[in-house]
Amino acid sequence: MLKKIAMLSLLRSPKTAIQHLLIGDWLTIIFSTILVIYLFQTLWSHQQATKVQIRLGDKVYATYSLNLQQTIHVHGPIGDAEIHIAQGKVRFAKSPCHNQYCVHQGWLTHAGQAAICLPNQISLELIGEEKPYDSLNY
Amino acid sequence: MRKGPTTLLFAAILAIGIFSIRAFNKEPLYHSQSYVFGTLVDISIYGETDERAKLLANHVFQDFQHLHDQLHAWKPITDSHPSELGILNNAFAQGKQPVTISSQLANMLTDTTQLSVKSQGLFNPAIGHLISTWGFQRDEFSAVNIDAEKIKSLVKANPRMTDIVIQNNTAYSSNPDVKLDLGGYAKGYALDMAADYLRKQQVKNALINIGGNIIAIGQHGAKPWRVGIQHPRKPAAIATLDLNDGWAIGTSGDYQRYFTLNGKRYCHIIDPNTGYPVQHTQAVTVLIPPQTNAGVLSDVASKPIFIAAAENKSKAASIFGIQYFMVIDQQSNIFVTKALAQKLNWVDPDVKKDSHVKLITLP
Amino acid sequence: MHIQTTADDHRIAKLAAFAIALHMVEAVIPSPLPGVKPGIANIVTLYVLLQYGFTTAAWVSILRVFASSLLLGQFLSPTFALSLSGALLSLGALALAVHLPKRYFSAVTLSILAAFAHIAGQLIMVRLWLIPHASVAYLIPIFAVAALFFGVINGIITNKLLYNKTLNSQTNPDTELNKSTENAK
Repeated sequence: MLKKIAMLSLLRSPKTAIQHLLIGDWLTIIFSTILVIYLFQTLWSHQQATKVQIRLGDKVYATYSLNLQQTIHVHGPIGDAEIHIAQGKVRFAKSPCHNQYCVHQGWLTHAGQAAICLPNQISLELIGEEKPYDSLNY
Repeated sequence: MRKGPTTLLFAAILAIGIFSIRAFNKEPLYHSQSYVFGTLVDISIYGETDERAKLLANHVFQDFQHLHDQLHAWKPITDSHPSELGILNNAFAQGKQPVTISSQLANMLTDTTQLSVKSQGLFNPAIGHLISTWGFQRDEFSAVNIDAEKIKSLVKANPRMTDIVIQNNTAYSSNPDVKLDLGGYAKGYALDMAADYLRKQQVKNALINIGGNIIAIGQHGAKPWRVGIQHPRKPAAIATLDLNDGWAIGTSGDYQRYFTLNGKRYCHIIDPNTGYPVQHTQAVTVLIPPQTNAGVLSDVASKPIFIAAAENKSKAASIFGIQYFMVIDQQSNIFVTKALAQKLNWVDPDVKKDSHVKLITLP
Repeated sequence: MHIQTTADDHRIAKLAAFAIALHMVEAVIPSPLPGVKPGIANIVTLYVLLQYGFTTAAWVSILRVFASSLLLGQFLSPTFALSLSGALLSLGALALAVHLPKRYFSAVTLSILAAFAHIAGQLIMVRLWLIPHASVAYLIPIFAVAALFFGVINGIITNKLLYNKTLNSQTNPDTELNKSTENAK
């Protein structure tokens, strides 16, 4: 009961809420914000992905180029997962897991992006190569 | 004491805002690939919105598809509907009855005839029958039984572009053994077509790669477009170079379309004089400075150099005024003109180590 | 056999029940991204920590993890492992952070630190045990932002609750009062 009242009063007066913040809290918030920004900058590169690496358990199951359209079936501990590779992107199309989180991740398009199906121990990771050229003449 | 925290909060939010925009900002580079025109086409457009770039790229892909339908040397558009070129080839084989052709095809034929004559027949799109005999008018290649007699007779038949008479958008051939295969010209033509289209659409920066032939418009943002040159025997680049606005690059090689028979490699580039695939050269790369038909030259000009014997290669290059070219012979020796050598950045570790690159002095 | 229960046990049970209830509510609400949740049950953990001490908070937290997973049918599943690893690391962080001077640090700091420790625990569990070498790099920034955001909110709510409790006990002097925090001003 107490908690309900507290939360309602919180919504009505955000200023009072902030008044409760002490100097130390502000320090924590600022440092955390800086940390978060740093994480985004270093971990979120926007490289073009060229390959997808599929892991099953602790081993690399296979690596596929994203240039060819194909469907791959991976058999994990709880069942068959269906993975779709289209031009430059990949996704979990079907998964035997209960929550379907992996499927809901949708299409992965950039290098570094990953989708993980924990119950089935399958992970998809997009790898981008830092190519020393924009296009290849052959 | 009240004001302090609030201003701090504002500052924090502002900082987050600024950093987020920087962090989430990716460069305006649109990149799209499509398998059209019988080969892999790769378009990069810089500095346009994704939506616009997509529209432009798709338009280019569609144009290529139409071109492909028109010019395919052996595949019909549908089972009962041959390509325009297919129809023409059939007519050539059957006699001297003129066939109506589109003005676009007529222009192409006139253009290729000029180029063929200039190259003294080294560039010869009329040898379709020879190419077919060697099995290269298929999607996949396998060893064929070499019919020496047939090849001899085809060479003797001497099909040439000059056998074709073009008048008022009609064409016929005085030599029934003429079969057109525009494989060594079409990609270059498409390159020029695409570059013209994009420039007309006010695109300032783009890179178009059709089956390996590349033409550049503008730059990749602040720096020039950079292209890699395929190593003839390794799945990697042998060198890279900057491709400035309007420059085009093309390579003829024995490593994409070929088959091996009894330990020997037979590639798709046929010497019209002997009727046999060239076996003394692995690859020839030509770099074309900006000009109206840079794309066409990047495709056509490498062939005569590839086919010519070692001692005649420089002469073959001078036919089309090629100053920047590189030859890699069967023993993997590399010959580069000084002008091109200055532009190349070697990335293959073996080349960097030995640097047994020989400079060609042009006559 | 008769098990003797103390007043402390009763309190723990009540609080744990409340935490479990909050966890259940949250489990029903769909989250846009897997693993990103407001973690409102943590409010209980924080409140308990600051009112009744670390031991009680630890009990409440662990009981919540176990009971919730049983109720949701996730006992011993990967989700349970994540929940537990997150809770353990979170408690570890709180054990240290609780020593920060109350004059400068309120529940908000504790909440933020606990939240970061929580996601760290989960990511470590994924990386080392569940799917080793999986690229969690891409997920870290997202989880971090969620940890910061919800950490602040949960902390503020906890502060409010404690403040109200202090007010309450001031007007009702015979209500049990342990370590109350001076949060006003």
